[in-house]
Amino acid sequence: MNINIDEFLANISLISLIAIIGISLYGIFARPNIIKKIIALTIFTDAANLLAILVGFRRPPSIPPVLLNLQPSPEDIRYFTQVAVDPLPQALVLTAIVIGMAVNLLIIFIALQVYRLYGTLDVRKVRRLRG
Amino acid sequence: MKKDMIVAVCLAIVIVIMSYIATLGGGLGPLFNGVRPLTIIYLNTTLNIHNPNFTAMSPEAVTAIVWDYRGLDTLFETAVFYLAIIGSVAIYRGIDEKLRISEGFGLSKIVKVVTKLLIPMNIAIATSIALHGHLTPGGGFQAGAAMAVIPMLLIIAFSRYFLLDIRLSRGLALALRSVGLLGIALTVFIPVVIGLVNGLNAYIMQNQAKVNAPVSLPAFVGSSLISGSLIMYNVSEFLAVTFGFTLLFILLSIEEGLVKEQMRGEGVEH
Repeated sequence: MNINIDEFLANISLISLIAIIGISLYGIFARPNIIKKIIALTIFTDAANLLAILVGFRRPPSIPPVLLNLQPSPEDIRYFTQVAVDPLPQALVLTAIVIGMAVNLLIIFIALQVYRLYGTLDVRKVRRLRG
Repeated sequence: MKKDMIVAVCLAIVIVIMSYIATLGGGLGPLFNGVRPLTIIYLNTTLNIHNPNFTAMSPEAVTAIVWDYRGLDTLFETAVFYLAIIGSVAIYRGIDEKLRISEGFGLSKIVKVVTKLLIPMNIAIATSIALHGHLTPGGGFQAGAAMAVIPMLLIIAFSRYFLLDIRLSRGLALALRSVGLLGIALTVFIPVVIGLVNGLNAYIMQNQAKVNAPVSLPAFVGSSLISGSLIMYNVSEFLAVTFGFTLLFILLSIEEGLVKEQMRGEGVEH
C-alpha cells in the first residue's frame, strides 16, 4: 500500500483542526468558569482563522502572494498568477486577528466587572444572584 | 458531571464524523488544485503597470486587498475595533487614578535594564512593519500589535505608575488613537476633494485612476514605491491600533482596590 505523504499530512492537519474546534466548543459549553470559557473561545477563534487560511491554500509549487520584482514584466505576472496562494482569506484573517484581540479584551473587561459585582466567575452562581 | 460526560461524548462523535467527511476524498483530493477566478483578478492586477486602470500599485496582494479592493470592509472592521475600545472605556467611566511615584515599584533592576534595551528595537521593528506594509507582508494592524507590546512590557517591568510618570495617560492614548482614526477618515476623502477641485469624477477610498474616474494618488515618490493611499492607511491604522491597545492595557492595570473603592463611593449599581 503506498501512502502519499502530502495527502497524509493534509489529513492530519484537517483532523486536528476539527478536533481543536470540538475541544474548544466543549470548553465554551461545559465549563462553568468565565475565564475558561474565554480561553476556549480564543482557541476556537484561532482554529477558525486557520481553517480560513487553509481554504486559500494552493498545491505546491506555491509561493506567498507577494511580487518580489517591483517592475514586473507580463511574464512575471503570469507566473505569479499561476503559483501564488489565495490572498483574500489572508486579508480577512489579518484584520480578524486584531479585531478579535480587541473584542477579547472587551469580554475580559466585562468578566472583570462581573467579578467585582458578584464576587465569583462561576456562571451558575452569577445566574442565581440575578434580580 | 454526568451532563459533562454526555456533552463530551457528543462532541467526540461529531469530531469523528466531521473528520471522516473531511478526509473522504483522500485529504487534498480534488481540493486546492487552483484558486477562484476572483483571486486570479486580484493577483493579476495587484502591481500591473501594463494595465493602469485596474492596478492597486502594490506588490503585496494582501495589503492591496485590505486597503484597496476590499477597503470598505476594513473601514467597518476598524469601526468594530473602535466600538470594542469605546465599550471598555465605558466600563471604566468615572474612575480616577491617583498619582503615585513609580520609585520602588516593579520588578528587579535586571529586568528593567533589559526592558530598556528591548524597547528601541521593538519600536524599530514595529515602525518598519508599518512603513513597508505595502511592499512586504505586514501593515498597520500587525505593526500596531507589535508596538502595543511596549506599554505591556513597561507596565509589567516598571509598574503602571511609570506610564503616568512619562505622561502616557488614558487621555493621551485616546487622543492619539483618535488622530489615527482621523488620518484614515481624511485619506478616505482625499481623492474626492482632488476630484472636486479639478472638476473630475472620483470615488471615496479611490487609490489609482479608474476608467471613468481619472484621479490617482501618487504611486511613486522619486523612485520608491509608496502605493498611493496604502501607506497613509497603514500609518494611520498603526497609530490607531497601537494607542487603542495601549489604552486597554492602561485600563486593565488600574488597581483593583481603587476601582472597588470608587464603585462603593458612588453608591450606584453598575
